[in-house]
Amino acid sequence: MSYQHYLDQRKLILTVATTGGVHGKDANPNLPEQPDEIARQVRECEKLGAAIVHVHGRDERGENDPERLQAVNDAIREECDDIVIQNTTGGQSPYENRVAGIRTDPPPEMASLDMGPFNRGQHIITEHTRHNIESLAREMKEKGVKPELEVFNNGHLNETYRLIEKDILDPPYYINVILGPGTFTIPTPENLLNMVNNLPEESHFNVLATGPHQLPLTTMGAILGGHVRVGMEDNLYYDRGEPAQSNAQLVERSVEIIERMGRDLATPDEARDILGIE
Amino acid sequence: MTCPYLEYRRSDGDQEFDHERPYCGVTEEFVSPMKADICNDRFQFDHESDCELYKDHVERLAEEPVADDD
Ligand code: SF4
Repeated sequence: MSYQHYLDQRKLILTVATTGGVHGKDANPNLPEQPDEIARQVRECEKLGAAIVHVHGRDERGENDPERLQAVNDAIREECDDIVIQNTTGGQSPYENRVAGIRTDPPPEMASLDMGPFNRGQHIITEHTRHNIESLAREMKEKGVKPELEVFNNGHLNETYRLIEKDILDPPYYINVILGPGTFTIPTPENLLNMVNNLPEESHFNVLATGPHQLPLTTMGAILGGHVRVGMEDNLYYDRGEPAQSNAQLVERSVEIIERMGRDLATPDEARDILGIE
Repeated sequence: MTCPYLEYRRSDGDQEFDHERPYCGVTEEFVSPMKADICNDRFQFDHESDCELYKDHVERLAEEPVADDD
């Protein structure tokens, strides 16, 4: 994907990540946690043009709970028209929690697949061993779940090539380039460009950037012919010091910018076509 | 074992929620869901080794002079 794709007005897939596993309502009370409130916000975002929703499950106290993924999936299907559900397999630590994201009934059309570990807090490294990553990828392939390959840094791009060489992934590869603090890629335009220049053939990329980097770097991703993810999982603020009122508020702003730049949003069905989801 | 400073509360005076949420008795603030894993020692996380707040608090308590009995 390239600037030429932007000039050619290729369709852009907008993903909304409403909830995540890091922040709670204590940080922003507008962040949805329970299945019904997540589904209502997803519906608003779908109406604005989001084609994919990235999903995490929380228990009643706001803590991560992969068993809640089923209830969130059910509520989204009930509330929304056709949005593509992408469950997380990354947010929770042990393998049995990760794999819960692809064992819902029915399985989601997509799931995230972290390409390696990253730091959490002061002492924790997420347990993404190569063995676990390959097991998840193989089960996704068996079930027809399209992986969104989470590339938190340059090294994870090496890991992506490794999986491609081992023939574990099917093209087109959907790569989420993640920029932010800690062990994520340092969030600068130069680094985004560098990541994009290093992508494998036959890939589509999506840009995820945290906090104040969400708006500028996703906009840059759109100019580079990529796709965009926004939402309160990655950014709790609408502006400096101004907490986001909802996921829809963040989605609406991105949609306006993307459309003004002359790119059309992909519908959920067009996103399925672009990504080879059957 | 869950951290002895972890509580579940609906309100801290400033914020009020529909359900109880994890609350740290050391900082007297609600904690994020990510931190709640540590507080609950889930996934082999251990508050005694993994939480700086707990360690600092316990060290400070140990340094405080013991009150006289008189
Ligand atoms: S933040 Fe640390 S000290 Fe506070 S409850 Fe959690 S583990 Fe205990």
